[in-house]
Amino acid sequence: MKLLIVEDESKTGEYLRQGLTEAGFVVDLAASGLDGCQLALEESYDLIVLDVMLPDMDGWRILQNLRARKVPAPVLFLTARDSVADRVKGLELGADDYLVKPFAFAELLARVRTLLRRSAVQVADDRVQVGDLVLDTTRRRASRGGRRIVLTGKEFALLELLTRRQGEVLPRSLIASQVWDINFDSDTNVIDVAIRRLRAKIDDGFEAKLIRTVRGMGYVLEAPEEQEDSARSGPSGPSEPAA
Amino acid sequence: MISRLSLTARLTALFSLVSAGVLVGLALLIGYSVDRHFAEEDYAALADKAALVRRIAGDAPGDAEMTARLAEALQNHAGLVVRLATAGGDTVYATPGFDAGAARELRTLPVAHGDHGAAQGAGRDGLTALAWHDGGMRYRAVRTRVDTARGEALQAIVGMDTEVHDHFTRGFRRTLATYVLLAALSCGVFGWWAARRGLAPLRSLASRAEIVTAQRLDERMPVDAAPVEIRELARKLNAMLERLQHDFQRLSEFSSDLAHELRTPITNLMTQTQVVLSLPREAAKYQDVLASNAEELQRLGRMVSDMLYLARVEEGVTLVRAEPLVLQDEVRALFDFYEALAEERGVVLRLSGQAGAVGDRLMLRRALGNLLSNALRYTPAGGSVEVRLVQRPGWVSIAVENQGQDIAAELLPSLFERFFRGDKSRVRSDLDGVGLGLSITRAIARAHGGAIAVRSSGGRTCFTLELPDVP
Repeated sequence: MKLLIVEDESKTGEYLRQGLTEAGFVVDLAASGLDGCQLALEESYDLIVLDVMLPDMDGWRILQNLRARKVPAPVLFLTARDSVADRVKGLELGADDYLVKPFAFAELLARVRTLLRRSAVQVADDRVQVGDLVLDTTRRRASRGGRRIVLTGKEFALLELLTRRQGEVLPRSLIASQVWDINFDSDTNVIDVAIRRLRAKIDDGFEAKLIRTVRGMGYVLEAPEEQEDSARSGPSGPSEPAA
Repeated sequence: MISRLSLTARLTALFSLVSAGVLVGLALLIGYSVDRHFAEEDYAALADKAALVRRIAGDAPGDAEMTARLAEALQNHAGLVVRLATAGGDTVYATPGFDAGAARELRTLPVAHGDHGAAQGAGRDGLTALAWHDGGMRYRAVRTRVDTARGEALQAIVGMDTEVHDHFTRGFRRTLATYVLLAALSCGVFGWWAARRGLAPLRSLASRAEIVTAQRLDERMPVDAAPVEIRELARKLNAMLERLQHDFQRLSEFSSDLAHELRTPITNLMTQTQVVLSLPREAAKYQDVLASNAEELQRLGRMVSDMLYLARVEEGVTLVRAEPLVLQDEVRALFDFYEALAEERGVVLRLSGQAGAVGDRLMLRRALGNLLSNALRYTPAGGSVEVRLVQRPGWVSIAVENQGQDIAAELLPSLFERFFRGDKSRVRSDLDGVGLGLSITRAIARAHGGAIAVRSSGGRTCFTLELPDVP
């Protein structure tokens, strides 16, 4: 998966490149709008991360250019300015997502993966497995090691999210939005409590723990053998989990 | 062009123009009346003279006697001219001054208006009014038929020069014109003075406005000293200053609050990072510190986002999308979210009533979510949080009530202030919000045209959100 980052702030750009590279992507970084636009037109990228405020050619104009020349790559906007008008403008011009600075890196990573998945062919799998955990998504049943686990509706939704995106660190805000449709930052530890209760049901009593807390970032669910890998390669985990 | 002139200049010009117009009109009227009066006088005199001429001519037995008698009779009437002529135009008798005029074709002037009216009176006696110029003199005259003793019909013109009256009239007109001019001028000067004086309160407003700066927003316009027309303006300006001062104060408090709130976590981050960097340490330690930094930074990021959100909602930049909402469904969705937390704390969530509202789903969820998480935070184990929905005509009220320690009455009004935390000495835990939740809730309520109130007594605290049916 090849990504392009267009960001004029050199520190931000470098960190984004490092983070995304370590997450398993091939990353090009352009430090100016013109370079970015040129690269985006010449090369073929799977996704473009675009800063709105660039000195020479702003993100909106780049996006207009790309869409005019039928560049299909999804575009994720980064901006320090968050106004409804900006948001609407970006989406009208054909941006696929919008992230306001300051953002958590885990949030960016999760959104990038969502966008990439959206553009890939979607296979609705009714059976998801991680290690010895098996989810039957049509009958909404979960079992581990052959033993049935009884979950509430929301617990199942949470587990399904974690397993479908296994290996990805999911920030709390993303979990709240995907599972409960709560799209604001709640200043409570609701997600931590929900995860704790889910853990009690699927991890307690098992040697290998599937759900792992990544401090300062969020939660990840992955098979034990991959946890060893990711312990070596850093907290963000591998980008292409074994399906 | 006129709109660019100063108000004083405009008023002065208007004053002068109006007074000049009135005076000129008055002068014309007086001039006309005087003229008419003189004309009446003249024609009356001429009618007398014409009667005299008729009598002498009618009495005299012959032309010679008639001439002698006429000369005798008219010698004392300086300025009177008389001519008697036959129907054929031959002069029978003429006063000496008349020759020059008679030699020429008798140019009758169009009889002036005043003369006309006056002459009509004379006309009743079979007189025709005439007027003409001759050698710089103006004459008024009457023409009449004279029957001599011999039965001959003669035509008589009896005229007089109007020099005496004209002299007077000219002088009178000059005086009048001078008076009008001077009066108009002095009216202008007076007008200027009055306008300046009348506009003085405006200048005092201006000079007062000059000293209003960001640091001195407490200056107010003088209201009681101003005249009625300006009092309203001064009052409106004062109200504007009041609002500006309030907003400005809020803004500066906002930035200082923000700085204060950011200072502590930034200090922590800096200290912690520098302490860790000062000695070589194990990888695990670095990881620990970085993770802790990340958590702190996330809090900071959220604070900034919340501040921005609050500012936007308060400014009304975030548009309120109006969609019909079933409030009990929204509350249930929030209960779903907070359920795990409530259970863990041993708190029961209860919902009663039902209501519909029109509003922005995201914003209202956030407002209610803040109230719920706030209630959960202060409810002791075994307690309950109750949401009551009440629909009234035109209004919807959403009450979120929790058990717990009463909030001191003097603290209630400040609950909705930014960064307010009930107990300043309480150790801050990570679970605490940044102190913006209730401010955001209030801002959202206001953005919907609603309001929020709180009361706390008898171990129960209740926040009531009131929204109009249609925002």
